[in-house]
Amino acid sequence: MDNVYKPDLMEVTRIRQETPDVKSVSLRFLDSERARNFSFRVGQFGIFSAFGYGESTFNICSSSNWKDHIEFCFRKVGRVTEALWKIEEKDVVGFRGPYGNGYPMEAWKGRDLIFLGGGIAMPPIRCAVWYALENRADYGEITVVYGARTVADLVFLDELDEWSKAERVRIIRCVDPGGETPDWKGEIGFVPHVFERAQVAAKDPVVLVIGPPIMIKNTLPILDKMGVKPASVYTSIENRMKCGIGKCGRCNVGPIYVCKEGPVLTMEQLQGLPADY
Amino acid sequence: MSEIISQSVLRGLAAEWIAGGKSVAGPARVKPDLVLYRTLRSGDDLLLEGFQRPSNSIKDFLFPKAEKLYGYKIHGNSIELIENDSPEPAQVIIAARPCDAAALPILDHVFNWDFHDEFYNRRRAATTVVTLACSAHDENCFCTSVGLDPGSERGSDAILFALGSGQYEVRCATEKGHALFDGKTEKSERTGKAIAGPEKRFDAKAVRAFVTTHFEDPFWNEHALTCIGCGTCAFSCPACHCFDIVDAGPAAGNARVKTWDSCQFSTFTAHASGHNPRPVQATRQRQRILHKFAIYPEKFGEILCTGCGNCARNCPVGLGVLSVATEINHG
Repeated sequence: MDNVYKPDLMEVTRIRQETPDVKSVSLRFLDSERARNFSFRVGQFGIFSAFGYGESTFNICSSSNWKDHIEFCFRKVGRVTEALWKIEEKDVVGFRGPYGNGYPMEAWKGRDLIFLGGGIAMPPIRCAVWYALENRADYGEITVVYGARTVADLVFLDELDEWSKAERVRIIRCVDPGGETPDWKGEIGFVPHVFERAQVAAKDPVVLVIGPPIMIKNTLPILDKMGVKPASVYTSIENRMKCGIGKCGRCNVGPIYVCKEGPVLTMEQLQGLPADY
Repeated sequence: MSEIISQSVLRGLAAEWIAGGKSVAGPARVKPDLVLYRTLRSGDDLLLEGFQRPSNSIKDFLFPKAEKLYGYKIHGNSIELIENDSPEPAQVIIAARPCDAAALPILDHVFNWDFHDEFYNRRRAATTVVTLACSAHDENCFCTSVGLDPGSERGSDAILFALGSGQYEVRCATEKGHALFDGKTEKSERTGKAIAGPEKRFDAKAVRAFVTTHFEDPFWNEHALTCIGCGTCAFSCPACHCFDIVDAGPAAGNARVKTWDSCQFSTFTAHASGHNPRPVQATRQRQRILHKFAIYPEKFGEILCTGCGNCARNCPVGLGVLSVATEINHG
């Protein structure tokens, strides 16, 4: 029987503790044929599971160009993530996916890219940044503004340093006022304000903004002032999911099932939908 | 000419099916005031007289309350998945209400758009639905308001119409229906018909128009004031299909299990961050009506409700689709 709920078994190959409560995990398929045939689009998600505890939904935060493994990143906040926190290298976890639509990286070709991320929203931005850098000639100027509450809450910091060495890339790191340390060299302020101060000169950019609702809300008027059309502003909706395949009935925003027609939606699409996210 | 069958032959057939290894489910009186669809032990358990709408629905037999998706064994840091591929036993649901049978084509869409849920499909393929057209209705029935009627054959493999004096006309709609009844019936000149349906109570199109334009509206707060969020409406609904996927721990033999869930529960959409897009009962009541009259229809072209009235019949505080839709429609 073809069982759509059956997970792939994946071995944990690497664990990095990003912050006091965030870890990123690298996985490889135990089934070598599945490993060979697997592909996904950046922006898609997976349902990851700790056996004995349950399933949880996370973005696949590695680039789709990386063929030997996938990565996901999580904050320890509940039963499943508490269990995932305890896994070690060589342990086996479950994976279902890839699900959802992903970022339209083909359609973004030739455009300047602006990435605005807050807190734990970095992983779903990171995969797109890596993808764009790996296909550098396809994209224009790249700007990343990434902020968290405190310096200790910033994830993938070493990779931000690596990105900033690439051509036509501007990386801006920030922390909320009061979240800085004495030796902090980045900006201080909330992501929307820091972005506005940075006066990014982009022409007809694509903007990917992911973060807490308040961050997105405060970013939109700034983009509007810059003349960025809602159809060029993308986000990834984080509604709770269980099945990931359009059946369990909980992730909808109006008629849109986030697991199938999302999670990547434009602000133009969201403007036509009820605020059910 | 019609085909007819007597009640005693029908009960005898049910007994034959049971003896032949089929699982047979139908309405049975389990307590003096409680009728449920349940697996029958004999043809005599089957409740055919009178009208009491079963408090559950036949979805229980196609989409069970808890269904094991796979088991797993944990050996050190390796995992072994254990799947159950044994064939689904043949099943007959007899004396289903038309409003129950009509929900099956609705569920078919959900479990088969893009991804196919073979747990549901295998049970569906192994199931024959014999509907009993209604000979009465109660104050909670509203099939006619959602485009059905007491003699609707939708979702049925065969349908029975009471002729009085313990006789039923049998109309087979599918090969599965014929397989059950061919050679078991007698020719007759008599034909049955269902009763006239309950008076139409609301216009479903008007309900859809309201819910798609009144997302933020005091109506939802007013309506949800008494709702206790128990989810009984969803659990007793033939068409509600939301589910959760949970791990049953070592005591249950380690398995991942699909269980019924409901949009009426506060945890249904709660994010790990603590944010909840539907933080109060009003938003959850709204979701239920939206899903039935706008979201599902937009996707699949029909209403996610068959007018059975179970939501109202079983609600501890007297809510339900009928009262909400009627209030929307008539103010």
